Amino acid sequence: MNPDDLRYHKEHTWLRVSGRKVTIGITDYAQDALGDIVYIDLPEVDTDVEANNEIGEIESTKATSSIISPVSGRVVEVNEDLSESPEIINEEPYGKGWIAIMEVDDVSDLDDLMDSAEYTKYVEEEAK
Amino acid sequence: MRLSIIGSGPGGYVAAIRAAQMGAQVTVIEEEEVGGTCLNRGCIPTKSLVACAEVLAKAKKSEDFGLDLKGAISPNLSRILARKDKIVSGQVKGVRNLFKSWGITLKEGRGTLISPNDLRVTLKDGSEEKIKSDRTIIATGSRPLELPPFPFNGSNIISSDDALRLNTIPKSILIVGAGIIGCEFACILKEFGSEVTLVEMLPRAVATEDVEISELLEREFRKKKIKLIKNVRAERLDIKSDGVHAVISDGKEIIAEKVLVAVGRAFNTNGMGIEEIGVQRGKRGEIVVNKKMQTNRPGVYAIGDVVGGPLLAHVASRQGIIAARNIMGNEEEMDYSSVPSAIFTSPEIASVGLREQDAAARNINIRTGHFQFRALGKAHIIGEIDGFVKIVSDLKTDKVLGMHIIGPHASDLIHEGTLAIRNGITTKDISETIHAHPTLSEVLMEAAEQSHGEAIHAAKP
Repeated sequence: MNPDDLRYHKEHTWLRVSGRKVTIGITDYAQDALGDIVYIDLPEVDTDVEANNEIGEIESTKATSSIISPVSGRVVEVNEDLSESPEIINEEPYGKGWIAIMEVDDVSDLDDLMDSAEYTKYVEEEAK
Repeated sequence: MRLSIIGSGPGGYVAAIRAAQMGAQVTVIEEEEVGGTCLNRGCIPTKSLVACAEVLAKAKKSEDFGLDLKGAISPNLSRILARKDKIVSGQVKGVRNLFKSWGITLKEGRGTLISPNDLRVTLKDGSEEKIKSDRTIIATGSRPLELPPFPFNGSNIISSDDALRLNTIPKSILIVGAGIIGCEFACILKEFGSEVTLVEMLPRAVATEDVEISELLEREFRKKKIKLIKNVRAERLDIKSDGVHAVISDGKEIIAEKVLVAVGRAFNTNGMGIEEIGVQRGKRGEIVVNKKMQTNRPGVYAIGDVVGGPLLAHVASRQGIIAARNIMGNEEEMDYSSVPSAIFTSPEIASVGLREQDAAARNINIRTGHFQFRALGKAHIIGEIDGFVKIVSDLKTDKVLGMHIIGPHASDLIHEGTLAIRNGITTKDISETIHAHPTLSEVLMEAAEQSHGEAIHAAKP
């Protein structure tokens, strides 16, 4: 299930907030919809990203999809393990499959995001 | 009709055969080897290296196919080159035999025009011969363009010609120019084990292609760990004991064992009497011709790379046929509206016709239909799922205007698009044509359907 300590964005990314730093990844729903992930184009460290813009791309055996940033900020770290083993995202979307750590420009942006219960409901609606 | 042709590449030899078939008495003058760049230093040898790289790539994935291949799989360059040479010599022999069977005279030496009807041939033994003809075709081709600051030395600053006769696989190579030749060699050498860096002064690789094609190729380069630096120039190359030190316009220095300069082609027009007999040349040094392949001098025709159009073997061949037919009394014009091009990178690229990014400037209202190879069963079967096809069609008439493919066997698939453009076929015509299953050609049917949002194997948006 979707962990309660995370926040969620409508483009199916999750965030773990720690002050101004947020770790982001894609949700279990997203990885399941994509199927076997074969490649991820990670953002470069120090890239500035606007909320709702692409920060990378994921390729699965079924589709190529953009990873949409849930916040505006700067990329401070990326999960290099994914370039060799992108399947980690399928295995542990909320754990070792994290994608990047960002420093957010404005923490109040985080208020607009969903909590676990809201996201679960959102996904159910979308599946209908 | 006495016809002399200078150059026996895919322009010259095809013109020779067609003219001979139509009854001309043909003499071909060739300074190097029959078949020109295509057979000896271009299409055929490079694609034979690509074939070796493809087998190697597949072999490395043998586990995915459920095969236990024991031991290390590694390229043996001398055997790879021997295989290439055997293919080349077989093809060259084939052309020589065709010449014989059609009664075409081959003079091996350097041809110089003395007048539109007179040629001097300097044979390999130094002797000279004069040839009188009624018509002449100049088909002298092109060669790797040398940048004045970085002259080729054949050892560590090399041309594409040199890259076909390397003694060893370089540990590292810097390729100047991410065009067709640069990108093809990048893929070959990376597969063989070189560390490859490409530098390109334009903002994208294979800049002649549709923008999305470049984007996907660049992503494939990231996957393969081919380094591509865009919007830069190589400013200086210093040969030192540990390799060539290249200074790039962004201030960085790249050290590589070898540097391949692949920045374009230069036209072979010097020292052949072309200027002396008054054949008009353009700004880039190319020979100016009309659509009948005639130069400004009556009786003198020119075809192939030397006329500066698309530098493609199959264009040269087509021009050769047009020239031959016109020389034999027909009135035909060269049609460039549906010229396919193929790039043998991994994955392959092929395109024909209008690019999406050019439609607006030309005031053409278009629609596009996309489809990804990874949605096809066949792509998964062969283990090559990367890539897509994009069909550009006229919004009103639905006629196919362009087709752009990156993916497995793109160079074989493109001809459905070429035929469609040449004959005014619509995307509906393609959708309604049954395509065999399971084949890669289904990608074209699905993309045609997707032009109208009707692809069967695409999820509802």
